[in-house]
Amino acid sequence: MAPTTLSDTPLVTRVVDAALRCIARWGVAKTTLDDVAREAGCSRATVYRAFPGGKDGLLDAVARTELNRFFDRLGRTLDDALDLEDLLVSGITEANRALTSHEALQFLLRHEPEVVLPNLTFHRAELVLGAVAAFATPYLTPHVGADQAGSLAEWVARLVLSYTLCPSEVHDLSSPDDVRRLVRTFVLPGLQSTSKPPSLSKQGA
Amino acid sequence: MLEATYACVARYGMAKTTVEDVAREARVSRATVYRYFPGGRDQLIADTVAWEMGRFFGRLADAVATAPDLPTLLVEGLMYAHRAVEEHEVLQKVLQTEPDRLLPSMTVAANRVLVLIRGFLVPYLEQQPLREGVTVEEASDYLARMVLSFIGTQGATDLTDRSTVESLVRREFLAGLV
Repeated sequence: MAPTTLSDTPLVTRVVDAALRCIARWGVAKTTLDDVAREAGCSRATVYRAFPGGKDGLLDAVARTELNRFFDRLGRTLDDALDLEDLLVSGITEANRALTSHEALQFLLRHEPEVVLPNLTFHRAELVLGAVAAFATPYLTPHVGADQAGSLAEWVARLVLSYTLCPSEVHDLSSPDDVRRLVRTFVLPGLQSTSKPPSLSKQGA
Repeated sequence: MLEATYACVARYGMAKTTVEDVAREARVSRATVYRYFPGGRDQLIADTVAWEMGRFFGRLADAVATAPDLPTLLVEGLMYAHRAVEEHEVLQKVLQTEPDRLLPSMTVAANRVLVLIRGFLVPYLEQQPLREGVTVEEASDYLARMVLSFIGTQGATDLTDRSTVESLVRREFLAGLV
């Protein structure tokens, strides 16, 4: 991970986690730095010193921390995958699980969608897709080659976003069987799978 | 009144559009506006968003009406929709200046839009021989989501280049179906 300007000391982590609990309860607009300090069990002065950017600085740290955690957990899931299908199924399942069980995120989506949605739609979604592609490419390259890895990652990110933000009666991403069916039916046939390292002649994906 | 609201949003933006503005633009009384939109300004805006989204997809449907088969439908639909979104001045302006006002109502409408797109795809899917075991229901759900995703966000694919879009549709949309 790229080094952050704000080092994630135990104090920062404690305050971020306290903020997450507050947001899960009251949302972003109603959460004050005082609330967070109280929840974190430290003084207002400590919180203000740790986040000179104020509430905005704290929210940035919260977003950054949660993104890092999300990708860390996802990475650990992917490390255990045995083959391409397993990689895709477990990746999608874990991503969906992480998003739907995230209390602060779910509160915001339900009650303050304007905080989250601008980052997950239209042009800003390009950044999300790009970040997921950058993260997933190393995991996918050994299976599908460098040429396809990036576009496959973006493709899967789209599916996670769509099926998570607008749950489907047809494929329930919380069901590994449904996810497997989705992957087998629509994704795998669109790939040229290689089980060798990506030094083959180009086949024209 | 919806047209008037749309015109006001184009002129003043969402935040600054008032019931008075709309009444004046539509040449009706404020009371009339409230009679039709008892939820007031918020309802007026939400309904106008839904209305323009409906018009957008209506224009899209017209643009692809002569598509002879599913692959052509998807390719032409994606290309048209991408261009239409990029060239939609009011949408782009609101996305830039006040996305937090627009997106919640669009995301609520997204479910309806998915149903709409699915309904459009079903006749094409029914006339298309599908791979064994693939149902029209799951195919239409999958394709509608992919279409909507690409309309909103181009990603790394150049949706202005026809052969690129054809390749995309072959791989990511249809590889599992046909």
